[in-house]
Amino acid sequence: MKNQGLIRKAYVILQMLIVSLLLLSVDTASARLTAQANHDHITVDFFYHGSTVSVRGISDPNTDIIIKLTSEDAHQTLRKKGRVGGFLWMNVGELEIEHAPKVYSLHSTKNVEDILSKDELDKYVIGYPSLESHVNMNASDEGEKTRWFNEFVKFKESSNLYATTAGKISLTEKDGIQNYYILTQWPFQAPPGRYTVTVYAVKNKKVVETATSGVLVEQVGMVRSFADMAKNNAAVYGIISIFAALSAGFGVGLVFRKSGGAH
Amino acid sequence: MYLYLPVALTSINILIPIGLGLVVGLLSGLFGVGGGFLMTPLLIMFGIPSTIAAATDSNQIVAASVSGTYAHWKVGNVDFKMGLYLLIGGFLGGLLGVEFIKVLRAMGNAGFVIKVTYVLMLGIVGTYMFIESIQSMRKKKSEEVVQEKESRIANFLKSLPFQTRFEKSGVTHSVIVPVFLGALVGILAAIMGVGGGFLMVPIMFYILKMPMHVIVGTSLFQILFTCVEVTFLQSYTNHTVDFVLAVLLLLGSTFGAQVGAIFGHKLKADQLKILLAVIVLLVTVKIISELTLSPSLLLSQGGGH
Repeated sequence: MKNQGLIRKAYVILQMLIVSLLLLSVDTASARLTAQANHDHITVDFFYHGSTVSVRGISDPNTDIIIKLTSEDAHQTLRKKGRVGGFLWMNVGELEIEHAPKVYSLHSTKNVEDILSKDELDKYVIGYPSLESHVNMNASDEGEKTRWFNEFVKFKESSNLYATTAGKISLTEKDGIQNYYILTQWPFQAPPGRYTVTVYAVKNKKVVETATSGVLVEQVGMVRSFADMAKNNAAVYGIISIFAALSAGFGVGLVFRKSGGAH
Repeated sequence: MYLYLPVALTSINILIPIGLGLVVGLLSGLFGVGGGFLMTPLLIMFGIPSTIAAATDSNQIVAASVSGTYAHWKVGNVDFKMGLYLLIGGFLGGLLGVEFIKVLRAMGNAGFVIKVTYVLMLGIVGTYMFIESIQSMRKKKSEEVVQEKESRIANFLKSLPFQTRFEKSGVTHSVIVPVFLGALVGILAAIMGVGGGFLMVPIMFYILKMPMHVIVGTSLFQILFTCVEVTFLQSYTNHTVDFVLAVLLLLGSTFGAQVGAIFGHKLKADQLKILLAVIVLLVTVKIISELTLSPSLLLSQGGGH
């Protein structure tokens, strides 16, 4: 009897082990997600007017793909407009936002709410509602927070710094491997810095695998010299700006004098 | 062709700032105003952050006002002595204005009071100039009544000490008058964050009784110094001057200022006055619509003025 009990227990444990292994294999797919951005180094010179960034890679078949392109979380201060005296629109204070990236670009094969559970969306900060939960701001209550977060997204989208698309990632399958690809416009408004491209493979409302890549946006040449000087040698920069303006003004004046313009 | 702006961190079609510079420079050379009222919002509209738009505009005005002052000086239309007294007043007024802002902020709702006051002042000045210019163009009889009224102010001004002759303008005033008026505009300019050319020009005409053509040159001379100071302070403390954008703007504005000066010289004082009155009224309407119409975005880039 004692032996039979032990055998039954061992059988149950074995069954649990097999089920766990099966579940694990479903959840992690076969760990072959890759991500590669074609432009991992974007140089900003005088003629820079944005760029394109394509992200491609492979994943297990039957997985949905979400691509998130973000800068690091940062503190941002924006001016708020509101009604004063019931009819005048004026600046009414500042909106302080913590943990909000300056750039947030999200692309997915389907609507993210349809392919991921809310917990997973929040865990990986995927989609605007999850980003709203992720950020902190100086709002009096939740209603105010939602209102100003929506305004924040509107403001960011107007400068092409925030964007979301669904269904623009192309998927092709060959030899049991799924290839994904997306070409996105890199906005010239995105400030120099390091950006992270995170690709999520999604199955059964869960993220089963992630892969990351990076994009570096860097000012070069004269653009960099000017930007550095404006920050680090502000007094000299100010004086040069004034003298350049004075010389240009006098220069054009002299040209007009020679041509007899003002007489 | 697009060019990347290293401080504004954005890219712009070069024809936009050159074209804007041309238009604003023209107004500057014609009326003796800086044109910040027009340039700053237009730059913001084309994607330049507001703090950088305002600071870079000051840098551009340095070029436009030098160009304009030079053009007016060549034909003897700059009263340096008057300009200097106005500048002293403007400097003192600027200092007072900064302190005044602190008091207003402590009282709360300062922005509301300031904006409404400014709109009212612009509206009154614009309307008065417009009506007065039309009347003087038609040479109505009311001239005598106006003169009688004005003579009271003139008598008061003459009774003040430290009277001095301003040869170029052909007027005699106490030095207190331009210093006081300069301070008044300086206070307003500091509070409103604008140059104040729109108030200075009518004040020079109606109170200081200067000839219209000398006013334009003298106003530009004064604006030049104000904007040199603002450009330096903005680049030193806020790092908000975009040199590349300023160069593009001044390519247009220096040229525009010369054309404006030539054009202005060909216009009669009354014609200049009525044109300025129309522009002041348009600015008033623009500010009123900005204040009352619902903005499409309730957030804007923060930091500084």
